[in-house]
Amino acid sequence: MSSRVEKKVSKKALNASFWRWWYGNLTCFTHEHMQTFGYMWSLFQVIDDLYETTEEKGEKLRAYWPFFNTEPQIGCIVVGITAGLEEARANGDPNVDDEMINGIRAGLMGPLAGIGDSLIVGTYIPVLLAVALGLSEGGSVIGALFYIVVWNATSIYFQYTIFMRGYELGGTAVDIIVGDQATALRGAVVLLGQIIVGAINGAWVNITTPLEFKNAQGEVFLNLQGQLNGIMPGLLSIGFVLLCWWLMAKKNMKPLTVMLLMILIAFVGVLIGFFDPQLHY
Amino acid sequence: MQISLIEAILLGVMSVLAGSTPAALGTTVGNYTLNRPLIGGLFVGLILGDVPGAIQIAIPMQVLYIALVTPGGTVAADLRAVSYIGIPLAYVAVKGAGLDFGSEQAGGLAVSIAALVGTVGTVMFYGTAMMNLFWQHWGWAELEKNNFKVLPIVDAVLPLITHFVISFIPTVLMTYYGQSVVTDIQQALPMDGLIMKTMFTVGNILPAVGIAILLKSVVDKASDLIPYAFGFVISKSLGLTLVAASLVAAIFALFHYRMEMAKLSSGSGHSKYDEEDI
Repeated sequence: MSSRVEKKVSKKALNASFWRWWYGNLTCFTHEHMQTFGYMWSLFQVIDDLYETTEEKGEKLRAYWPFFNTEPQIGCIVVGITAGLEEARANGDPNVDDEMINGIRAGLMGPLAGIGDSLIVGTYIPVLLAVALGLSEGGSVIGALFYIVVWNATSIYFQYTIFMRGYELGGTAVDIIVGDQATALRGAVVLLGQIIVGAINGAWVNITTPLEFKNAQGEVFLNLQGQLNGIMPGLLSIGFVLLCWWLMAKKNMKPLTVMLLMILIAFVGVLIGFFDPQLHY
Repeated sequence: MQISLIEAILLGVMSVLAGSTPAALGTTVGNYTLNRPLIGGLFVGLILGDVPGAIQIAIPMQVLYIALVTPGGTVAADLRAVSYIGIPLAYVAVKGAGLDFGSEQAGGLAVSIAALVGTVGTVMFYGTAMMNLFWQHWGWAELEKNNFKVLPIVDAVLPLITHFVISFIPTVLMTYYGQSVVTDIQQALPMDGLIMKTMFTVGNILPAVGIAILLKSVVDKASDLIPYAFGFVISKSLGLTLVAASLVAAIFALFHYRMEMAKLSSGSGHSKYDEEDI
């Protein structure tokens, strides 16, 4: 490097890179390369801004050829980090090479997929949907509109912020992602999620039995649902969820297998009179 | 109640915009907004001209699929089919049977149909991922020649062809022709027969699977089931709405966070005044 002028990625190129990742992270999904093309399209904006010749650009882009897949929304931070690293490399930082870039990408994509899947997809979205479902009860549009506005506004703000933070921090961002404060925050969000999953269970699962036992005079001497309510209201509703959870979490059953099993239970239950939706035209 | 060809075409367009993992409108807007059955209910309602009815049909479907995580690109069900094939067909079926949209029977029917077309969505998901391999194959060859112009074409333009073939055409055909199949089935099976009773019971039980998937994503150890049971009790026994229950949950989350942070700052020897700097 003969020139002493610090190279800097323009704000325009950074924004272009962010929006291309935000839009294109999974638009050409295949099981072979998953998010690789989205990543290349995004990072090329940065490379194009930093380097002059086509050969140089092509050579730098090769760092992003390998497989990439994570939860793409929280994954914004990885793309931001590599944008920062690419800038350091263009300024002649000897520590940054293809191997280091791919080390960071490979090292972060697994943990971030876990964090993103459990916090964003597994907790934040269901919580927003649960609130929206409550607001939409009876067919109101309020809940749907609430979800559209709140989800998109918060999620896009979050993605843009962590992308730019990742760029500013470069390689040092890795510590923050696995740091203590992040762990405490994660624990709090997961606790929130656990309570709300229970509340969703209570509000939206309603499994009851009409089973009654009558004596010779035709008087009811045992009403099963009444007995169950005496133990705890909604016992069947929570019991079925726990059964399904146990089958999937402890017996490693696939969701589809559990669904088929539930269909079988429903059929047998209807046959023996344990279940009866009591329908008529 | 008939779904017209124009309505079916609009539903087809929505299914393209809202694909599961590879959505034409991207992850945040396509997959996590338009793809969700509750939001699908709003758009199906706008297309069919009955927003409250379609949203009521969508609610039980949304409960069934409330947590849909696609770890490593494997899906249990692609919700584009649930939202833009399932909701319209269930809407037609409920209307045809003369049921009230908010009734338990309508909900049961909606969930049964949702589970049925969920598998159609799975086929669409894997079909999309497979067809995109063609575009990527061409893209790699061009990248070898340092032709960077292919990046947006491979990532954003060519997948639209995939969506047209895998998503648009099947959705239009199924919503346009599927409605007569749904009504035929209804006439063949009486409501108080064994099969319909089972279907409605399945509709009551299946949301338990959806919530169990959700539970699995937030529970690591047995003691994690206690906050979950607490949430169940405040909702079922105390009758709190989900918004109210979320606020109760938030206060516990806040305490948890404060306690963890207090532990950290005392452990590392900082006074609480330094907390802001960490």
